[in-house]
Amino acid sequence: MQHSFDRRAFARTGLAAVAALAIAGGAKAQDAPSEFNIGIFTFSSGPAAAYGMPGRQGAELMIDMINEAGGVGGVPVRATFVDEAQGAEGVISEYRRLANDPDTQVMLAALSSSNCLALAPVAEQIGMPTISWNCDTHQLFLEDDLQFTFRPNGNTVPEFAAFAAYMVTVNPDVRRIAIINPDYAFGHDAGEIVKATLAAIAPEVEVVAELYPRLGTSSFQTEISRLSAARPDAIFSNLWGADLENFVRQAQPRGLFNQSQVVLALGETVLESLNLPDGVIAGMLGDGWWNTPTARANPMTVEFTDAYLERYGEHPVFPTMKMANALLFMQEAVEDAIAATDGAWPTRAQIAAAMEGRTFNSLTGTAVLREDNDAVVDQVIGLTTNESDLGFTTLTSMVRYPGEMLMPPIGGDPIEWLSTLTPDWLDSLPAPGSYN
Amino acid sequence: MRPATLYLLLAGGVLAMAALPILLPWKQFVMTVAMAKGFAALGVALLLRAGMISIGHALFLALGAYAAAFMSRGAGITDLGLLILGSVAISTVCGALVGAYMVRYRAIFFAMLNLAVSMVVFSLLAKLYRVTGGTDGMRVPVPTIFGMEYDKSQFDAILYYVALVLIVAVGFLVHRYLKSPLGHALAAVHSNEVRLEYLGVSAWRVLLVAYTVSAALAGLGGVLTAVAVGHVLPEYAYWTESGHLVLTAVLGGIGGVAGPFLGSIFLEFVHSFAVGYADDAWNMINGIALLLVIFFLPQGLYGLIARRRAAKSVMERDEDK
Amino acid sequence: MLFAIVPLIVDGLANAALIFFVAVGLTLVFSVLRILNVAHGSFYSIGAYVAASIGLWIISSGLNPWLSFPALLIAAALVAALMGPLIERTLVHWTYGKGEAVQILVTFGLFLILEDLQRIVFGVRSIYADTPMALLGVSEIGGIIYLNYQLLLIGLAVLTLIGLRLFIRHTRQGKLISAVVEDREVSEAMGINTRRIFMMAFTLGVFLAALGGALATPTSGVAPGLGAETMVLAFAVAAIAGLGQVEGAAVAAVIVGVARVLAIYYVPALDAVAPYLVMLVVLLIWPYGLFGTTQSRRI
Repeated sequence: MQHSFDRRAFARTGLAAVAALAIAGGAKAQDAPSEFNIGIFTFSSGPAAAYGMPGRQGAELMIDMINEAGGVGGVPVRATFVDEAQGAEGVISEYRRLANDPDTQVMLAALSSSNCLALAPVAEQIGMPTISWNCDTHQLFLEDDLQFTFRPNGNTVPEFAAFAAYMVTVNPDVRRIAIINPDYAFGHDAGEIVKATLAAIAPEVEVVAELYPRLGTSSFQTEISRLSAARPDAIFSNLWGADLENFVRQAQPRGLFNQSQVVLALGETVLESLNLPDGVIAGMLGDGWWNTPTARANPMTVEFTDAYLERYGEHPVFPTMKMANALLFMQEAVEDAIAATDGAWPTRAQIAAAMEGRTFNSLTGTAVLREDNDAVVDQVIGLTTNESDLGFTTLTSMVRYPGEMLMPPIGGDPIEWLSTLTPDWLDSLPAPGSYN
Repeated sequence: MRPATLYLLLAGGVLAMAALPILLPWKQFVMTVAMAKGFAALGVALLLRAGMISIGHALFLALGAYAAAFMSRGAGITDLGLLILGSVAISTVCGALVGAYMVRYRAIFFAMLNLAVSMVVFSLLAKLYRVTGGTDGMRVPVPTIFGMEYDKSQFDAILYYVALVLIVAVGFLVHRYLKSPLGHALAAVHSNEVRLEYLGVSAWRVLLVAYTVSAALAGLGGVLTAVAVGHVLPEYAYWTESGHLVLTAVLGGIGGVAGPFLGSIFLEFVHSFAVGYADDAWNMINGIALLLVIFFLPQGLYGLIARRRAAKSVMERDEDK
Repeated sequence: MLFAIVPLIVDGLANAALIFFVAVGLTLVFSVLRILNVAHGSFYSIGAYVAASIGLWIISSGLNPWLSFPALLIAAALVAALMGPLIERTLVHWTYGKGEAVQILVTFGLFLILEDLQRIVFGVRSIYADTPMALLGVSEIGGIIYLNYQLLLIGLAVLTLIGLRLFIRHTRQGKLISAVVEDREVSEAMGINTRRIFMMAFTLGVFLAALGGALATPTSGVAPGLGAETMVLAFAVAAIAGLGQVEGAAVAAVIVGVARVLAIYYVPALDAVAPYLVMLVVLLIWPYGLFGTTQSRRI
């Protein structure tokens, strides 16, 4: 798709841009385009590609499935993939370049929290409906009232409050914890949230080490020594991509998993590719595992999972499911927008309007978009076990925390909200093992 | 080529750039960034004229960019004019301070010390998450212009022409500087520093002025990049970015003020056509272009249009060191 | 207190060992050829990629996993043999006597080309080949479990340092290199074939960088961007020592390694800054490095 930038496309884009200028302001309904163009931003190179490529593959498969079934509102979807590894400046330039084509009506951007934060103001300036298909940072909707950015996945606050709650429930004796997260918004936010939640629900827990190695670190040997020396009862981490693989591969032989209860917030992504020992607390930031009871009960999810396994020779991971969900969310919104305009092809603004406040039945659960365009989504967490008939590690003692119990109210400081929680709050949550 | 023809050509180039947003509107944004980076490359080119190579000059680009971000977010300064003045002032002062130390060294040590300082600043920008936003960088809100608020697309259009006007104005000033005794002395440092000192000219002073001017130019590039992109990142100070500035300067040619801008704009055009075909080979294309220029066109693109004899090249070897 | 210092020392040395190989290669090339090779980090990452690829191939084709060890060495030798003479004869050779601006630019161009070449040849995803690490097992030192492979690496770094010293001081080739470093013109007048010495020194530098990369693979993943990152780290070590100082590079590697470990233990917010901060402090006081002088060309 990236080869679309040939001379003809160049000329066509130019003409279209001139045409768009000519009718600027007059956002009138148009005829259906021959192709529904979207930009998809993910990591397809570098250490983050270990996480980004399953997302991209999920997009390729889901788009094929949508197009086989007739496309979006009868128009085939055509995606241009942009590699986020080029950094925010390149990502912003590519976003602007794609947005110059008036036929590009939706962006799925981005994977990384930093890129989401960088792109949100651009989306507002251009008026481009943008689905934050993966990024989690709660800062996204905190400062500004965004009209064009939507996140049908929820944010870091419920995600990491859920891990703190689960850890304290299954391991009430934990007194000393260590944190090792990547050095950017996602890692620092998660560290803050875990600390704030624990301070409220288990005030006796003490943080004995806090490390934020750079995203893309290939050797964690010194960090592992440091964690080992701190003797924590539990180690919390939201490392991901190749960083997570590196960390697990290097920490396991050095006994870190025996010494402490390890919590891998994105552990689901490495269940199949690594040999995690039993009893690691692992999750998927939301409910996006292909193998939850809810997902297995959805025929479309099973069909998607089987097709993915057949095409790529491995099971989907939760970024795959998030991407697939984002595309389905887009399809529903666009088709509703067409209905709302009595069959005329909707503008970007009309598509954005249709995305607002949706209740969306995803492949893995339900997402309810709030006024601030952030969604309430359930959180699924479990313990790893190697007793499974899958041929690789799976999860047991699972819990599905209802999203509304973990989501802070709109407005107000979410970290402050966490501090209003009490140890009793734990009792109101479903118990580990209640969702199997 | 006669000077008159050269000026005509340059004027034609500026006019072509002025018409570009109308003819190729989707190039406006990337060209603004290309022009911004051109200022930083011009700064590097000044030092190259003295035979000094800095592989840390992206430091001042980053300083200008972060200064703009801090001013607009921390100090509430939102006017474009003030942001430019403030950022350039900050990078000028930093340039003078750092330069006072740097210009005591020559050759490999000069290159190395610049690299060292820029890497310290890069890693600080990336690690001080609470202050600088860490690797996420900082957002830069759309500035006002003389108190008037514009939306982003209007602002982008204005910024493009601001950058173009600045190229002409700053380019003229730098041209005058190069024609002044201080500017001539710069080339003399390269060809024979000892003789220069015998003439009673302090090489340290000549170089410090050049270093400060180059830092100011890089800072100007930084603030323009920051407001164009709307985001600043530690990567602006990374050593490969510094390498690209040198590459841009050499590709365009260091013989005239127009050279580095020529290099920057040329690279952006090549990039537009390479995107999609050769995403995994963009660096390679840059590298090959650099080697080809060094081997076959040592005076850069500018050398193609300017008088051969007047054009300087990086190939000139200092005699007495 | 003494108890707490042990892990600091082990981790510091393990860190130092990892950067020593590539840094000493950079400094060796500089001392003989008087060129700051900006592409030096790329040889490190190419060495890592080749070693990881061979390692993965050994496992996937069912060969004896212990072959992974000689494979590390073979990978480095392969990279050096294929790239060293070729690059020195063509690009680098052309820059002799051309001024450091040109030399840095040419090697920067080479760096850009090699970076993308790796993306094209080895792909853009992270790869792992940790068999040697798993084979050697672990040891407990000061209450912390270390990989025996990490300890082996420290030993290898020391052996390499001694080996280099013996080679330079006590072999004919090494003495020839010293002579060229001391005075190029006189050496030529005495009939030393400097062309050959340059090629040999450059290839040795490439070998050391590639060896550093190869030896790092069992304990860390390989991904794009490794070369650029290693380049500046190696440069920091070489600059602290003083460009051209072989033994000095070992001392500087230990300083940088220990500084990084201290940062991770006590001020984790500054971990990535530590090497460069040390470098800046050293260069502010001794601009030519701890062991370097403007004139000195000793190796």
